[in-house]
Amino acid sequence: MMKYSIRTAYFLLGALLLFTGCAHYILNDQSRTFGPQAGYRFDILDPGPHNSDSLFVCLMFSGGGTRAAALSYGIMEVLRDTVIHVNGEDRRLLDEVDCISSVSGGSFTAAYYGLFRERLFDDFRSQFLEQNIQGALTARLFNPMNWVRLASPDFSRIDLAAEFYDSDIFNAATFDLLQKNGRPFVILNATNLGVDRRFDFTQEHFDALGSRLESYKVSRAVAASSAFPYLLTPISLKNYPLAEGYTPPWWYKDALTPKDWTTERYNAAKNLSVYQDKGNSYIHLMDGGLSDNIGARAILDAIDRGFIRTRINQGAIQQLVLIVVNARTQSEDQLSRNESPPGFFTVAEKTATVAMDNYSHDSVTKLRDALYARVQTQKDAEACTSLLAIHCPKAPKPFPFAADIDPYVMEINFEAASQIPGEDPRYYLDLPTSFKLSKEQVAKLIAIGPKLLKIAPQYQCLLKVLAAEAEGRPRPKECPVGAGIFPQ
Amino acid sequence: MAKEYLVVLFVRNRRVMINGEFMGTTNKKLELERGPYEVTLGPPNNFRPAKQDVELRNTSSLMPMIVEFEEA
Repeated sequence: MMKYSIRTAYFLLGALLLFTGCAHYILNDQSRTFGPQAGYRFDILDPGPHNSDSLFVCLMFSGGGTRAAALSYGIMEVLRDTVIHVNGEDRRLLDEVDCISSVSGGSFTAAYYGLFRERLFDDFRSQFLEQNIQGALTARLFNPMNWVRLASPDFSRIDLAAEFYDSDIFNAATFDLLQKNGRPFVILNATNLGVDRRFDFTQEHFDALGSRLESYKVSRAVAASSAFPYLLTPISLKNYPLAEGYTPPWWYKDALTPKDWTTERYNAAKNLSVYQDKGNSYIHLMDGGLSDNIGARAILDAIDRGFIRTRINQGAIQQLVLIVVNARTQSEDQLSRNESPPGFFTVAEKTATVAMDNYSHDSVTKLRDALYARVQTQKDAEACTSLLAIHCPKAPKPFPFAADIDPYVMEINFEAASQIPGEDPRYYLDLPTSFKLSKEQVAKLIAIGPKLLKIAPQYQCLLKVLAAEAEGRPRPKECPVGAGIFPQ
Repeated sequence: MAKEYLVVLFVRNRRVMINGEFMGTTNKKLELERGPYEVTLGPPNNFRPAKQDVELRNTSSLMPMIVEFEEA
């Protein structure tokens, strides 16, 4: 009997060690040959039958747990229900969406739509928004079978979370499906802890890692994007040797010229060069909110030197529409009413969120400023041409752009709920950042999104301008070019 | 974020390639970030020089940098 018990104990110990040793996070695949026309990149995605480049729409979904996912879902519903007339046919505004850049909670909505399209409106609410995701994750954490796996240094809480997302939300889908589905290009943002910089799950970043994105699980990218510090652990990727024939993106060539160190282009090249340093064998990713909590930086990069810049210069874009869905909350200021200074935990919480909120505000300001600068440049050329026609008709006219653009930047946030009769912004501003909200909270969040978009004067101008164009009427006077950024 | 301006002149309407990327057409103003670029034209190969390296800086939208290609 004693001999039998010892043998069983050895067997169990061996099995334990075996399982512990086996538990390892899923590695990204190596890419042996570089293919500029392969992988998940904007330029090779099928735009779809009802999508025109002339109306170019990008959405940005912020972090904020289920609150952010529900608010962005509401925006997707109103875009689905908004019919516009473009190129002689009625289309849903949703079908004109070209890209979605998302962070943390917003990444669930973005990835789900990217993968399953119309199914978002059938079951995302019941499959995700109304689920107690936190409870499900906690149950997995307390499952003794998982304790053995978690004892491995190469398997941690984030891998359990990613497994759950994979099986229960994303149906084991990989980026290959996102690629096959075509536009919108879904940019899932995370933060590289090694260099404190934004990392996005696109082939451009994976090229620099010598890796193939199409075989990587979308669930792991979403897990990285939403890996809230302390509660969850980082998602890790292997940095392989560069694939044969690797060519960096066009803007990278000569960008690391020392005298240009103050430029954004230099900064972007520096960011990419981190991955080309193969001494950095692994990268460790956490919540995208740590580097940009509204997903705006990926769009700013696309405007500066990416797929939006090339299309602006080619004259392909007429209306450029950027919608920032910001689920930021703001507790009422009780601190300023107290004589005593705030305590340790309040200071710690403020330390983590104040800089992030200011950075988010700054990012939206940068979007507005960048596109308004373009509007002013167009107006300068127009004014110059008019003045020359009067004072110096024989002088050469300024060189034109391939096409003038008509930009729109709108930010959806809860503060604006004060403009909606019967709505109290405090209800939304006091909601927690959590992956467990009540059905009533989810319903209210879904309902407020469309209302917030519809009251935005920039959005109203967009619809008026599109309607006037479709009907061959002159542009509405109350919506001159530029009013899509700073309303009249 | 700050932009510089470039116009590539050619007698015909032709694609402009910046560092190998299709970036617009000849005789139209391009908006790019400051810094060095390699400029050339798309096919057919009936222009000269074959490429030009430019240092794009200190331009304005009304006074862009001008790069000219001749028909070969």
